[in-house]
Amino acid sequence: MDKLEIIYARSHDLVEREIEGELIIVPLTSGIGDLEDELFSLNEIGRDVWARIDGKRRVSQIVKELEKIYDGEREKITADVLGFLAELAKRKLIVEESPCQVT
Amino acid sequence: MSGYLEELELPHFHLWEKTEEKRIPLSVEIELTERCNNNCIHCYINLPADDEEAKKRELSFEEIREIVDETLQMGCLWWLITGGEPLLREDFADIYLYLKKKGLLTSVFTNATLITPELVSLFKKYPPRELEITVYGVTEKTYERITRTPGSFEAFRRGINLLQKENVPFTLKAMALRSNVSELEAIKAFCKSLSKGPFRFDPFLHLRLRPNGKRNRQIRNERLSSQEIVAIELGDKERKKGLLKQICEEKKIGQETVPFNDNNQLFYCGAGKASFAIDSYGFFKLCSSLYHPDCVYDLRKGSLREAWEKFVPQVRARTAENKECRERCLHCSLINLCMWCPATAYLECGKLDKWVEDFCQIAHARAEGLANIE
Repeated sequence: MDKLEIIYARSHDLVEREIEGELIIVPLTSGIGDLEDELFSLNEIGRDVWARIDGKRRVSQIVKELEKIYDGEREKITADVLGFLAELAKRKLIVEESPCQVT
Repeated sequence: MSGYLEELELPHFHLWEKTEEKRIPLSVEIELTERCNNNCIHCYINLPADDEEAKKRELSFEEIREIVDETLQMGCLWWLITGGEPLLREDFADIYLYLKKKGLLTSVFTNATLITPELVSLFKKYPPRELEITVYGVTEKTYERITRTPGSFEAFRRGINLLQKENVPFTLKAMALRSNVSELEAIKAFCKSLSKGPFRFDPFLHLRLRPNGKRNRQIRNERLSSQEIVAIELGDKERKKGLLKQICEEKKIGQETVPFNDNNQLFYCGAGKASFAIDSYGFFKLCSSLYHPDCVYDLRKGSLREAWEKFVPQVRARTAENKECRERCLHCSLINLCMWCPATAYLECGKLDKWVEDFCQIAHARAEGLANIE
């Protein structure tokens, strides 16, 4: 499957907290994140991607929307977004949504 | 790493500084109950497990949820559940899960004797930030000499085994007291064989939070002498290294006395800056040991926000009236080596601003021991 066609959703096994303007991701169950007690924080670009991981948008759409916000070549933005999503998926912070779940 | 995602390790958590500046209560400690199934000879808080009066007065799950929700609005990130023995609460799992599902890092202090397969499953699926277990002895005789509860050693071993079997991580720590000091090396070996990191032991026994002459005499009898404490501390490589690094390098022990507290402020510590404690009955405290009646706030009659925003600054503004305390404690260069603080001074002699001879002796013995190493 073309990576740009994938739809991701945020894992149900985490809790998002906003503290002092920072988005903190707290893993809820074991196996989320590399270490059980690890927390994650997203920078501004990370937050812009994270906000669009909603179980509805395809990766291509996320890239398209980011192109409107950030300067840069489409290839570079695509590579960055794919890299970031792969990292989130590796840590099980996001999951691939199966096509039948998407309405 | 793409650079968009940052892993946060708590010791280097950059929010700590921000939260202290803005007085955000990042960390909360709750004593779920003062009741305990053990009756440890040195304990500063325990009531019998079947104390119905205490049980009736304890915060309900509903009340705890309200407090949790308020702390979340205030930016809290970390809750420590302690006691008494918190696993005695029939609703422990509900409270624990509520904290976890709200995105709070949740730590638990327990004696492990009430660990069940169901609790192991809970901790396995929803891992605590820390699960800390106190070891009183490694033989039944020593363990139960302290807990004064027949069968407690077997229950403790069973609890540890259940956690081990399911690979639920935990940390072991010990209290060093008269009744187990002869076994301390074996306790150390046991702790190090089962949990990572340096051997954590505490030779400083607090007196009862609520004055109790008989129990306080027992606690005093269990305290090790200053020489014994120093010998144990300096005999432990990691403890010695830590003390040297944290205290000697920073404070230059024995070289000069630096008056760092010109205003004679009693609360030189971090109590109430980014953390607070709540007792079993809903009393707010700046730290778990601070039980002076003027320093506690009844959350059942007020609000957490008022306690944090109005009450804490009032308490922290208190100054020492006692001349001896001002001269001997608040301006002492050994204060970081001393058990003295307003909370422990109150427990020892009923006043927040009183010099405590025993503590002073220990601090000087520690300083002398450390200075000799240098």
